[in-house]
Amino acid sequence: MKSGIGGALRLINTVENVLIAALALALIVLSGLQIVLRLLDHGLIWLDPLLRVLVIWVALLGAVAAARSDKHISLDVVGKLLHGKALRVARVFAFGFASLMSFALLRASLGLIEIDRESATILFGTVPTWWAELILPFAFGMLTLRFALRAFAVPERSVMAP
Amino acid sequence: MTTLLIALLILLLAALGAPLFALVAAVAWLGLHSAGYDETLLAAQFWSLTEMPVLIAIPLFTLAGYLLSESKAPQRLLRLSEALLGWLHGGLAIVALLVCAFFTAFTGASGVTIIAFGALLLPALRQAGYPERFSYGVVTTAPSLGMLFAPSVPLILYGIVAQQLSTTPSVSINDMFAAGVLPGLMMIAVVSAYSMWRAPKRSHDIPFSLAEARAAVWDARWELPLPVILIGGVYGGVFATSEAAAVVALYVLFVTVVVRREISLVRLPSVLRDSMMLVGAILLILGVSLALTNVIIDAEIPARLIEWVSAHVDSKLAFLLLLNLFLLLLGMMLDVFSATVIMVPILLPIAMHYGVHPVHLGIMFLANMEIGYFMPPMGMNLFIASYRFDKPVLTLARSCLPFFWLLLGCVLVITYFPSLSLVWID
Repeated sequence: MKSGIGGALRLINTVENVLIAALALALIVLSGLQIVLRLLDHGLIWLDPLLRVLVIWVALLGAVAAARSDKHISLDVVGKLLHGKALRVARVFAFGFASLMSFALLRASLGLIEIDRESATILFGTVPTWWAELILPFAFGMLTLRFALRAFAVPERSVMAP
Repeated sequence: MTTLLIALLILLLAALGAPLFALVAAVAWLGLHSAGYDETLLAAQFWSLTEMPVLIAIPLFTLAGYLLSESKAPQRLLRLSEALLGWLHGGLAIVALLVCAFFTAFTGASGVTIIAFGALLLPALRQAGYPERFSYGVVTTAPSLGMLFAPSVPLILYGIVAQQLSTTPSVSINDMFAAGVLPGLMMIAVVSAYSMWRAPKRSHDIPFSLAEARAAVWDARWELPLPVILIGGVYGGVFATSEAAAVVALYVLFVTVVVRREISLVRLPSVLRDSMMLVGAILLILGVSLALTNVIIDAEIPARLIEWVSAHVDSKLAFLLLLNLFLLLLGMMLDVFSATVIMVPILLPIAMHYGVHPVHLGIMFLANMEIGYFMPPMGMNLFIASYRFDKPVLTLARSCLPFFWLLLGCVLVITYFPSLSLVWID
């Protein structure tokens, strides 16, 4: 059973990695394409809004992946000083809180989607805005779960800090 | 009373290591509630990130920076600058400064540069006979020095945040790119001069050889067009910032993966993912900060702060001095990305009340952040370097101290001589 859960988590991680890489590549290639098209006076009207949405999609998925290994930006004054049990207690509060706020953002984004569905806002062409907004509840839902898990997980020594 | 309690709770959670975006979201959420707005606004503000055309420059430049530092470009660049500058007295230290600055100029994430370059530069400096402390000082401080050069993400981020506040005069990203040049060069020049003074007696580190210089230039032939694309494209006004970002990212991807094949297709996804983790962490905070900014403006906090500050601080000079102190402490505690998106909406209106040009404030803000990064005792890069080189934080703090004083001098010059930043701004 335990290995089943571990396997599922690994699978999720792999899917995330592939998705992020694919979207990041799409971001580079499409934004390059747009320049070429513009130079040829054939700029695509829908490509700009698509690219702007793509930025949020790939960034939010990146944020979800960052939560996997404690790579979110934090002050972490105490974390540098704490060890053992005290550190684990601190993590329960810190990441439990992050999970709670991710949940608040999840609820807020479901509300936003509801509004944009009712008012039938259009992103471009016939694509409704709320389709693009689906990434919000997905990402914040994942963050809610992942921070809840990280609250009780073994801390990872983060070295990414910007 | 409740407000005080909540503030204390937020500070406690921050100290315990809660992610910043959650703290910002909590304050914004509470602000919306107490003002009687629906929490949906939090998501709506977050989604307004999609209305910023220039935002795409952040993931694209970050991608380019990560791809470059994961390839062998750092080694080639090191070789090139050694061949060209190594003959100078203190040349190797100057080389280290320039190479670090070049890489931080992409992401603005100086911590990443320390991790990527420390192992490369530190042994080289020690071997050439530079004192131990000086060497640690160089590799810990140098990575911050790139932040004021295009296309650094902090410059872009400041531009974006300032644009949200629709200031007069307005702030364009290109303004920021132009404004950072002289202050950035001054900081590098000062540290270079110090390096020449501290360099070991026997070094002319590496004798100049025309053959080696030629070979090094040839070796770096694919990297050399990058500054041309950036300087010509952005400063020259051929491309918009976001377009230049696209060209640079596409070019770097093509060179590292297809031409040089230094990043294999197997490794590419994890490099892409790592860079997007940083972008995700930054944009998450930016998104919730947009909501916070609106709460702050709605509650007329800048106006009240202006009133309070102008009751206590009567001259621009005194204000700038206090601002410097505040920013140094801020830079010690907070990374530049979070500091920019959280604090600039509050500071910019006050600074403009005292007649500070918004572009000048930006450069001054970032310069302070730069040195806050390695300011003893808490600067973030001290901890990163301590982790990377396996040295006590205290040792690194002492190593950075002379650099800190020198660069503090530069920051004061940047603060009190606005023309240094504004020379190319209309």
